Amino acid sequence: MVAFTVITEHGGARIDATVDGARVLVDPPAVESALGWHLEPQGLCRGDVCVPVRDRLPADADGRVDLVVAAHILERAVVLDAAAGVLVVGVRASERRRALGAHELPPFSLPDLDGTMHTTSEWRGKKKLLVAFASW
Amino acid sequence: LHEELSGEGLVVVAIALDDDPDAVRPHTHGVTMPLLLDREHLVTELLAISNVPTVVWVDEQDRIVRPNANEFGTDTFVEFTGVSSLGHKELVRDWVRNGSVPVDAEAAGLAVGDLSDDEVAARLHFRLAVHLRRAGDADGAGRHFDRAVELAPFDFTISRAAMPLRGANPFGAEFMDLYAEWQAAGSPYHGLARRPATD
Repeated sequence: MVAFTVITEHGGARIDATVDGARVLVDPPAVESALGWHLEPQGLCRGDVCVPVRDRLPADADGRVDLVVAAHILERAVVLDAAAGVLVVGVRASERRRALGAHELPPFSLPDLDGTMHTTSEWRGKKKLLVAFASW
Repeated sequence: LHEELSGEGLVVVAIALDDDPDAVRPHTHGVTMPLLLDREHLVTELLAISNVPTVVWVDEQDRIVRPNANEFGTDTFVEFTGVSSLGHKELVRDWVRNGSVPVDAEAAGLAVGDLSDDEVAARLHFRLAVHLRRAGDADGAGRHFDRAVELAPFDFTISRAAMPLRGANPFGAEFMDLYAEWQAAGSPYHGLARRPATD
């Protein structure tokens, strides 16, 4: 096991993992540290939502599971750089598609220029114009 | 607009798709609106944004009443997008004061339904490149910037945003080449040509 970085919409998490080809093997508790979903008998769960896993996430002889498969079960796209020891995990595709189709603002948090975090729920009850801009 | 309409219940939330807060500060002099820094381009994934500036209208209940349709606060970039800002501010005023919502963006077929798999992968490669660059791995970052641009060449939040992070000038020759290629491809927006491609 080596120190490994998982980057999601909530930032980066450091976990122990073994990279084997396109697989990222971790102890089951690390699935939650990495993805925010924990492994239960009924599936991958967050809050009261569980996504059934069935036989898709088998543990190896050392009890480890593949984080890449766990991400795919959650419909999250991944990009792995094995040499750099980094896995980037996208948001749930089904959730993004549903929110875009239903015209709902998905909640997100970002820092201001001084590093203070802000969440979209701060402006609930107001009309908002979100303006994406850049210096480039 | 933020100054003008904040007393009437509007908040303009500016989101900078930049890596360096110091690159943003010169644009923020005297600005009182919330200003967020999105180094990992999270909103380009969540809201299917592919160019700047992009404006999304969101109501009090967090419903998107005017989706991402790549429109502009000034007419500086009309040629760039094919979308005029004509009356945009007036429409915002009318929405804030009278609750009227224009339906033109979706009616015109400009709203983005979802990202393609390649557009998602491009965003993840870009995010990985930003991470590696910050960690001092310029070669690794370069590989993932390359892959991101390959997957979504006409997504300006990928191809143009990568330029300053790789030492290129986003207003220089490299951008002019990209712009010419994009025009020749029919000025596509999320893969959809806005007008027939020219030879």
